[in-house]
Amino acid sequence: MSLTKRLARVVAAVVATTLGAGLLTACATTGPDDDVQRLTYLEPIFFATLYPPGAGFYPNGGVVNNITDRLLYQDPETLELSPWIATDLPEVNADATEYTFDIRTDVTYSDGTPLTPENVVANFDLYGLGDSDRTLTSSEQITNYERGEVVDADTVRFHFSAPAPGFAQATSSFNAGLLSDATLALGNDGFAPGNATGVIGSGPFVIESEDLGTLLTLTAREDYDWAPPAHPHQGRARLDQIDYVLAAEESVRVGGLVADQADLARQIEAPVERHLRDQGLQVISHGTNGVNNGLSFRFMHPLLEDIRMRQAIIRAIDREEINHTLFSESYPVARSAIAHTALGFRDQGDAYRHGRAEAEALLDELGWVPGPDVIRVKDGQRLSFTINEAVPQPRSREVITKIQEQLRRVGIEVHLNPGDNATQNADSLSYDNIQIRHTMVGRADYDVIKSMWHSDNRNELLNGDKETRQVHDQQLEDMLQQIASLPAEEDRAEMTGRVQDYLTEQAYILPLFEEPQVYGAQPYVKGFQPDAIGRPSFYGVWLDHGDNHTEGDDQ
Amino acid sequence: MILRRIGQAVLVLLITYTLAFTLLSALPSDGVMARYASPDLALSAEELQRIRDTYGADEPILAQYVQALGGFVTGNFGYSVQTGTAVSTLLAEAIPGTVALALLAFALAVVLALGIAIVGTSEKFRAVGDVFRSLPAFMVSLPTFWLGIVIIQLVSFRLGWVPVIGASTAQALILPTITLSIPIAAPLAQVLIRSIDQVKGQPFIQAVRARGAGEVWIFWRNILRNAMLPALTMAGLLFGELVGGAVVTEAVFGRAGLGQMTVQAVANRDTPVLLAVVVIAATLYVLINLIVDLLYPVLDARLRRKVRS
Repeated sequence: MSLTKRLARVVAAVVATTLGAGLLTACATTGPDDDVQRLTYLEPIFFATLYPPGAGFYPNGGVVNNITDRLLYQDPETLELSPWIATDLPEVNADATEYTFDIRTDVTYSDGTPLTPENVVANFDLYGLGDSDRTLTSSEQITNYERGEVVDADTVRFHFSAPAPGFAQATSSFNAGLLSDATLALGNDGFAPGNATGVIGSGPFVIESEDLGTLLTLTAREDYDWAPPAHPHQGRARLDQIDYVLAAEESVRVGGLVADQADLARQIEAPVERHLRDQGLQVISHGTNGVNNGLSFRFMHPLLEDIRMRQAIIRAIDREEINHTLFSESYPVARSAIAHTALGFRDQGDAYRHGRAEAEALLDELGWVPGPDVIRVKDGQRLSFTINEAVPQPRSREVITKIQEQLRRVGIEVHLNPGDNATQNADSLSYDNIQIRHTMVGRADYDVIKSMWHSDNRNELLNGDKETRQVHDQQLEDMLQQIASLPAEEDRAEMTGRVQDYLTEQAYILPLFEEPQVYGAQPYVKGFQPDAIGRPSFYGVWLDHGDNHTEGDDQ
Repeated sequence: MILRRIGQAVLVLLITYTLAFTLLSALPSDGVMARYASPDLALSAEELQRIRDTYGADEPILAQYVQALGGFVTGNFGYSVQTGTAVSTLLAEAIPGTVALALLAFALAVVLALGIAIVGTSEKFRAVGDVFRSLPAFMVSLPTFWLGIVIIQLVSFRLGWVPVIGASTAQALILPTITLSIPIAAPLAQVLIRSIDQVKGQPFIQAVRARGAGEVWIFWRNILRNAMLPALTMAGLLFGELVGGAVVTEAVFGRAGLGQMTVQAVANRDTPVLLAVVVIAATLYVLINLIVDLLYPVLDARLRRKVRS
């Protein structure tokens, strides 16, 4: 046999085996099974923990939200609270330090154990206080928690050391998802990837299996019969199975949808929304109903101390241009510190409008004059700021680059802080490193604005020094504290409005846009409704393969 | 001689480990801060400190080093700080996937390299020889990341030959294997082509030919066998490339594996995971190079005699 023939055979054999194996296996699995309602969901990041207080991170919440029930249910559109595991809204004492819930007695966890008052108290004791010895954290949303109490066979009461008006809403979020006693006894590693099937809730779906880091399979719980009465669907979930598949690359998520290999994908970036629509796919966006994506000016920094400097930066940034270049209609330009759909929203009118001439006049007034390379200088100092990259937020790097370009036009220099998420968070703790902080936070309660800027919480303005306890703007701090402690809802709403006005007056922030969660979905995915802060909720979803499926096959 | 090699290997591993530990400690922030000081959790300073104490994150670096090293020696790799998963669990899940990918990719790379080298150097394919000779330079300059995405888009999404999402274990290996084999095949082919050319010009080939051996016989028995040695050395060195390539390939294809694990651990300052990865990579490196050294005498009789004497 000649070398040529021999070589040709080898090559042919390799190619044939590779392709043949691929085609055969492909054929074996692509046949649609119409009886099973099975949804393939593409996630950019695999969950890192299923411990509910740590579920704020999108991929964690996306799982916890579907396997756990809560005491109360929050309507994703109206943000109204209604009963779920609790049979009524709680009884609250006058200063909001005691909450009493009547709870259902017919609920069981997927391991068969009953959901009892003792179990509910155990849940909140852990979430309210945390357990540092097990490195299990307390929930950001449950403040001033003291203890829980079993009143009788269907009543629980929670006691707080100070008013906690945000507690009712906190019980509705997945950060307070109820877990079985056995699960509550787990350590940090019990909630970690690799142990997902050991995390037991009473929700409509149960974790069936897990391929560490790449695939999580949830199946419907057959005897689920305690959906929130306000939910349009009741009883067992319509889907039989959900496969959470890791697809870190956006091009893979988008391509997977377009090529019909997946049904739903999270985190679709603005530039591809149109492409998906053109391909006949749905683009579903839902607001996160909290503090908008924006900039916080660390006003105690010498360069930002003068309000005119902060105003100059606000005027110099053209938010419309940023939105037009980088985003889509799913990302409305912010009208205040919080989203227009958030509780207590107060429109700030044109307070954050663009005005280059005004910006330049303010800078001139402050004595900053253009230096040799456009950037302004004063007493030999360059007018220069560093902004962090908000790694988890959409297109943060591009946003900062755009701001860099806009501020340069008026003579302000901006540096994008380099580094990964851990570095960004560490650097952001000091205004020497980060003078302007780019971030957001989603939560559908008045407390969210306090979470963002109060010195005990995220402290994004660095208004309070966590070590020395020194507070720079006591008035802001007090107002934020009141939102989280005034018992009456109308007072909290009023105070939330006042904080928004105050932030505008003091030019402490520049809200950029209302950050949504954007999903891409096949046309036959019906009933998909993200929860109040945009996490996926699969309970009401079904796949309507009727006519659409044959259309899909023709493509 | 074997004992000396093992001693050397242990020393290399210890130095690698110490270096990795030192570098990781020198980085700003640490794994505990990356997870628990994240604004997502908004923990109070007191709670954060209690958690740091539980982890022993503020103990002197030397104490931490000794403790971690002690764990390694006794086979206890600890827990990922970022997620809480035992590092041993992570490794058990990740290693088989990466090993399967690496071995298959390497095998395919060898086939590819041989094919390219044979076509590129054979008189029979003179017409296309130059194209094949320049192929390795082209292949080596393709970024794995880009290559992976292009292959996914084309083969899976456009042509629909292999699913990327919801693929079976075997299916899930096909495209990553092709992606990873290309940057490995390129330098192998390059070295092979050069050494085939070199061996061809040697007088002993003329001698064999004069005795009446056929070209095919000469090529497989004499030329290729002698040209293998430099390629083998290269193959050992390419293992590093394989690990680096696996990092990117696994990330693009969303495969569980050492690569994917490393990417996440780096982003989260997950020291226990990173140390384990570094030590495993170093161990494999040492092992592969040991195997290569032991293979030399098998392939080349001259080296056998030297070892004996």
